[in-house]
Amino acid sequence: MAADRDAPSPAEQVGRLYEQAESEAAKATERLVGSGGFASLLGQLAENTAALTKLSGDGLDLMLRNLRLAGRRDIIRLSRQLARTEDKLERVLQEVEAVRDRLDREADGHPLVPSAGERPASGVRSAPAARRAGTRSPRRTAAPDNGASSASPPLPRKSSR
Amino acid sequence: MSTAQTLARLPRATVEFANLILTTPDATIGATPRDVVWTHRQTTLYRYRSTRREHPIPLLLVFALINRPEVFDLRPGNSFVEYLLGEGYDVYLVDWGVPDEADSDMGLAAFVCDELHWAIRETLRSAGRDEVSLVGWCIGGTLCAMYCALYPDSGVRNAVLLTTPIDPSSSLYTRWVGSDDFDVDLIADSYESIPGSGVDWANKLMKPVTNYVTTYRRLLQGALDGKDQRIAYQSMAKWVADNPPFPGRAYREWITWMYKENRLVSGRLSLRGRRVDLGKIEQNLLVVTAGADHIAPPDGTVPLLSLVASQDVTHLDRPGGHIGLMAGSKAKHEIWPELARWLGERSDL
Repeated sequence: MAADRDAPSPAEQVGRLYEQAESEAAKATERLVGSGGFASLLGQLAENTAALTKLSGDGLDLMLRNLRLAGRRDIIRLSRQLARTEDKLERVLQEVEAVRDRLDREADGHPLVPSAGERPASGVRSAPAARRAGTRSPRRTAAPDNGASSASPPLPRKSSR
Repeated sequence: MSTAQTLARLPRATVEFANLILTTPDATIGATPRDVVWTHRQTTLYRYRSTRREHPIPLLLVFALINRPEVFDLRPGNSFVEYLLGEGYDVYLVDWGVPDEADSDMGLAAFVCDELHWAIRETLRSAGRDEVSLVGWCIGGTLCAMYCALYPDSGVRNAVLLTTPIDPSSSLYTRWVGSDDFDVDLIADSYESIPGSGVDWANKLMKPVTNYVTTYRRLLQGALDGKDQRIAYQSMAKWVADNPPFPGRAYREWITWMYKENRLVSGRLSLRGRRVDLGKIEQNLLVVTAGADHIAPPDGTVPLLSLVASQDVTHLDRPGGHIGLMAGSKAKHEIWPELARWLGERSDL
């Protein structure tokens, strides 16, 4: 009787058989996807999909252009112009901060001209150099180490998108 | 469970199974409060709020260009960010955002030499510190390694690289995309921004039965057994399904330089005219590999250990998968304490 109780039920037996089959199938498919033939097939499939996507996209874009409407390419071009402007703005802001760091150093009595071991204030390298000189001047108020910033976090320079 | 019991539970389990799948998009991930510190194009630097910052060296988390960085902060009670905050770290996260076609001009150099470089700069300024620890995961780890090699004096004290591809020559990816059969130029030109769903599909195709069958069979089995798996399943499933596009230029460079030409480990990769020489990495280095990682197998990461110039190098090889190692239910008790301990010993002034 005890042996009957310990015997797996038909559902459990089916479940185990299924899991075994699934495990074997997993191994077989992993061997399959690891083969050179599959890699070649995948490459061609990706190319076909990409080519179809490009064809359909170009066709739609041509239609919009003929209707004198802005197409995707026009919007992308404008977005890239905005991105380039943002890149330039970021670099200008970094230069401004570098100059401000230098002025802070001067106000603290340090020489304005960088020493031999420091780079001149250009681009992103100047701020760490200023910090190494012990005249830290963060762009925003540095948060105290006790985490009080959770109440008044540093403001982002630009708004989040 | 008897056959009769199984059949009796099946209708309810099926409804619950369907409910788990259908309500996954409503799951909450990345819930730890944080503030925006800096933005540039699609990139955002966040700082997590904390009431106990004990270690002076801030941590900057860097994730891959595929999937979203919320995996660092998956769900309350199982969040690496939450754990680090509890350990007293000042935690920052760089989020690459969701690139679109307008960002297809961003190559690896833009991510390493601009976005990451500036994010580190802003982290230092925000924290008011001279040094930072980088924690990079997957491609994020590779970007961190490139950064440390290019900017050895930039203030990075510690670098933690989690399941990071460095020499992928023996990986399945290389077999798929490394040969001439895979025309990366055609694909990058056609799409400009490679659809995230395509990248996700390829990732899942590496283990098709496991990803497309076993996951759902186990979910149904869990429903039959009455397990409470809603939060754990849904948070991970939601994260897995969130696939931002891969900027075309970065995709082209990543596939060509890493998988077709294997430039990084051979020292032939250059960004903005500067050679990325891994031998110039001098930071304290922790490399973590996962034994069952099929995306970035340990064999493809370990070569880094013998290339770097760091005096302090630690390698942890632990059981687990590419994501499961850090985001699985065991991570909180296994790998996270090890990472926190390693960082803690190197994060004081």
